[in-house]
Amino acid sequence: MGQIEWAMWANEQALASGLILITGGIVATAGLFTQWYFGAYSIAAGVFVCLLEYPRGKRKKGSTMERCGQKHMTKVVKMLGPLSRNYYVRAFLHLGLSVPAGFLLATILGTACLFIASTIYLLAAFRGEQWIPIESKPKERPQVGTTIKQPPSNPPPRPPAEARKKPSEAEAEEGAAGGPTGGPQVNPVPVTDEVV
Amino acid sequence: MAVSWRSWLANEGGKHLCLLLWLSWNVLLFWKTFLLYNQGPEYYYIHQMLGLGLCLSRASAAVLNLNCSFILLPMCRTLLAYLRGSQKVSSRRTRRLLDKSRTFHITCGVTICIFSGVHVAAHLVNALKFSVNFRQDMIELNAARYQDEDPRKLLFTTIPGLTGVSMVLVLFLMVTASTYAIRLSNYNIFWYTHNLFFVFYMLLVLHVSGGLLKYQTNLDTHPPGCLTINGTHPQTTLSADFLTEHPHVSFPGGFSRADEFPQNNLMKICMEEPRFQAHFPQTWLWISGPLCLYCAERLYRCIRSNKPVTIISVTSHPADVMEIQMVKENFKARPGQYIILHCPSVSAFENHPFTLTMNDFEICCFLHPVKIQRFCPLFILESIPGSTLMVHLEVHLRSH
Repeated sequence: MGQIEWAMWANEQALASGLILITGGIVATAGLFTQWYFGAYSIAAGVFVCLLEYPRGKRKKGSTMERCGQKHMTKVVKMLGPLSRNYYVRAFLHLGLSVPAGFLLATILGTACLFIASTIYLLAAFRGEQWIPIESKPKERPQVGTTIKQPPSNPPPRPPAEARKKPSEAEAEEGAAGGPTGGPQVNPVPVTDEVV
Repeated sequence: MAVSWRSWLANEGGKHLCLLLWLSWNVLLFWKTFLLYNQGPEYYYIHQMLGLGLCLSRASAAVLNLNCSFILLPMCRTLLAYLRGSQKVSSRRTRRLLDKSRTFHITCGVTICIFSGVHVAAHLVNALKFSVNFRQDMIELNAARYQDEDPRKLLFTTIPGLTGVSMVLVLFLMVTASTYAIRLSNYNIFWYTHNLFFVFYMLLVLHVSGGLLKYQTNLDTHPPGCLTINGTHPQTTLSADFLTEHPHVSFPGGFSRADEFPQNNLMKICMEEPRFQAHFPQTWLWISGPLCLYCAERLYRCIRSNKPVTIISVTSHPADVMEIQMVKENFKARPGQYIILHCPSVSAFENHPFTLTMNDFEICCFLHPVKIQRFCPLFILESIPGSTLMVHLEVHLRSH
């Protein structure tokens, strides 16, 4: 339980709430409920919430799955600076946005869902989480010379690549990849290949 | 070309056939229910009151019944593993089909989300229509108690309304925690919120017991749209005196007297007021079977996982890998199985899956501490060979 990143879940909730608000707003405006202008507000608020929440924040550990095409919105949201980074701001913003939609029947569920998202954001902010934009690293251009490998000198069956390599090459590979210490793996228990 | 077509049929045909059958069943249910509420005489008055919203809400409810029932079946993993491994199901195609159980569960889940959206939207419009189209003579049919009652009151002061709102919130929590990104990064959130399904089903049982939806019971004595004599029906009201004083008044269709109406003419005379009765909740019939089956399976899994496991050996391998060999009574490991390790003395809430290696008599799994930072090193410390550590193991068959 200690490693849970609540902000990620709050982000999914806020995005879903935005969509629910848009749907409720459309039902209210098209169904011509009395006080239909709350429906129009709900559509606008839903669109704003969806755009704000679309770019997913970076996880503390490990890689984060980006949403399709989120690069563009990441730039916009990043420009807001601490207003978008801080989750307390998001929590209270969502709380404030959800209140007017609660006056109309069609959008009341959107209010409830956005309220839940706001609560989870508050929890995330309390635990010190922050929104960090996912920035793509510039691709390192591979040196053409080093990518050309020599064909294998011995016929099959060949031992794995690590055993075949010369010591200098093995060290260079290790330095780059940070792989396991020294040579091929020595199994403590004898391993037999049982082909069924 | 012919070979690839045949191989596609052999590999994917079963899955697509099942999908087609499921889709057809959904479409048929939706269409049949829609037509029933649109044209059925027993729903004539309520259809007048609510319009399209009634048909959409009932049709989507029928689809929801089917999917809420089917969604539990692919999760009966012990039963599916038994069917898959038994000699009765020896066909590779059937085994391959059973492997698609999780995909089917997700498909039903997505359908439930979509049709819940339709159902809720239609009922919100219905609540408004109940309020606006309130009539004194149809007071027992109407959910509203007076004209222009606030529809939000209808939502929060009736059992179906309150349980409906609660179900939407539970579904919201479950669905937002089930996305791929969340399952990958914070599996516990997904697991614990998904267990709220039980709350969802209990609310569903209460939701349909409200009895708000009524059908007309006395169609023979009160055909819908009939003329009332001395009645208070606002559409077609005639008094007996009027008929005796004006025997040659022309009725629609050119008939001069009421008793000359042909039998199939809609303008019949009503013998009595319409009477309405609430439906028996069909949903109870749909969900009771699968729910009981799934609960029984969870109970069985819980009992089975509570038997103690003895750790035989703990071996350290290069690249920070630990091998643990365990023995459990009456258990023989088979290929394709994985276990979920839960050690209360390490963590009360964490459950972690590990693949089993092939070994006839022992359970052998490899722990990669890098993957699960806190759990593995602590578990390894607790694992003393020869001890009987209280470890809960749930054995599952890997499926795609």
